[in-house]
Amino acid sequence: MNFYECNLHAIPDGSDSASRLALAAKRLGYSGIIITNHTTTGRAFGFDAARLVGGIEVVMGSEIVATNQRALHAKAASLRERSDFLAVHGGDEKINRAACEDPNVDLLAHAHDGRSGIGVAAAKAARDNQVAIGLDLGPMIWHRGASRVRWMETVRRDLDLIRKFDLNLMISTGVKSHLDLRSPRDLVALASLLGLERERAVEALALPKSILDLNRRRWTSVGVELL
Amino acid sequence: MRSWLPVLRDRRRYIAFELEAEDRVGRGDLVGEIRAAQTALFGDRGAAENRLRMISFDGRFGLIRCSHLRTEECRALLATVSSVAGTRAAIRVKGISGTIKAATEKYIPQSILQPNENKRRVDLGPVSGSVARVIGREIDLCPDDRKMTKGSGTRYVGLTSFDLCGEDIDADGTSDGL
Repeated sequence: MNFYECNLHAIPDGSDSASRLALAAKRLGYSGIIITNHTTTGRAFGFDAARLVGGIEVVMGSEIVATNQRALHAKAASLRERSDFLAVHGGDEKINRAACEDPNVDLLAHAHDGRSGIGVAAAKAARDNQVAIGLDLGPMIWHRGASRVRWMETVRRDLDLIRKFDLNLMISTGVKSHLDLRSPRDLVALASLLGLERERAVEALALPKSILDLNRRRWTSVGVELL
Repeated sequence: MRSWLPVLRDRRRYIAFELEAEDRVGRGDLVGEIRAAQTALFGDRGAAENRLRMISFDGRFGLIRCSHLRTEECRALLATVSSVAGTRAAIRVKGISGTIKAATEKYIPQSILQPNENKRRVDLGPVSGSVARVIGREIDLCPDDRKMTKGSGTRYVGLTSFDLCGEDIDADGTSDGL
């Protein structure tokens, strides 16, 4: 299977260069990584060097950080042409909803950082606009006790929503260093503790590849592809 | 040794793992950290079902025994370990096997090359500091600016030799990147 880690942060967001992340991900069995640095901090360091690492595809995406809905839609529209993969830094209820309502967005990342999760209205919008929901397993790894319990409750509720509306799901750990990376099998095992079925988790890890393939096709107009 | 009916003997699996850490980590600290992570994730009741034991740990590779029905849970549990005694670390599961012999032969390399340590300088525009250690193509850099690793909790900045190759200001002017 083509497993992709879809939400990595290189320097200056994280503490590793793009190539170090690529090397670590390759060793863990990924066939590709998508570097999504925040739009507020700028270009990832060492991206060209990362292409020298053989055997793994390194894709430059971006993660939109916006304070309100309007800014989010404007940024998404302007970045869509230039970017193969567009994520949104979620967590806030309004931003989650706005990201799900924007067809330009590929992934709503860190959707469960806040207490709210996605909710029914946003889930319906995500289904209509083909926005994938990112299951960020970072809190499961870093947090202990009450904060993790709260996070797990939110995620379990949202996984029910994701099943109900058959939403696209991607699994990541919100990587900021090579020590944050976990192998695909580890992620499947972690997700199964949250009640996510094995087949669905495997599907979620392979989804970024098919989204990338779709995004790279050049459409001249609706339904007409430039070959 | 206590005798037990062969038909009632519990079945076991051995998890071979590699510890990736920023500094040397002792066996006791690692065991303590895994125990704490186990109790936090499963509670006392679930932890008792795992029947986890540390069989061996040499500072980098190790072997853990667990119940044959709980291997996925143990894999998840090892994935939740993010630091050991204050040092950032990650446990990479190399494989799971039914006997100590098979796990050792299949997954734990017998000759481990010691990482060569040096303290060379790297100056690459936004990233500068001294090299803490080099493992193959991977470079851990101690940054001059401590704020660089803020947010991830790591001590070092991770680079590779690919980052250093082809730059005008190479670390020491050689083409190998270091």
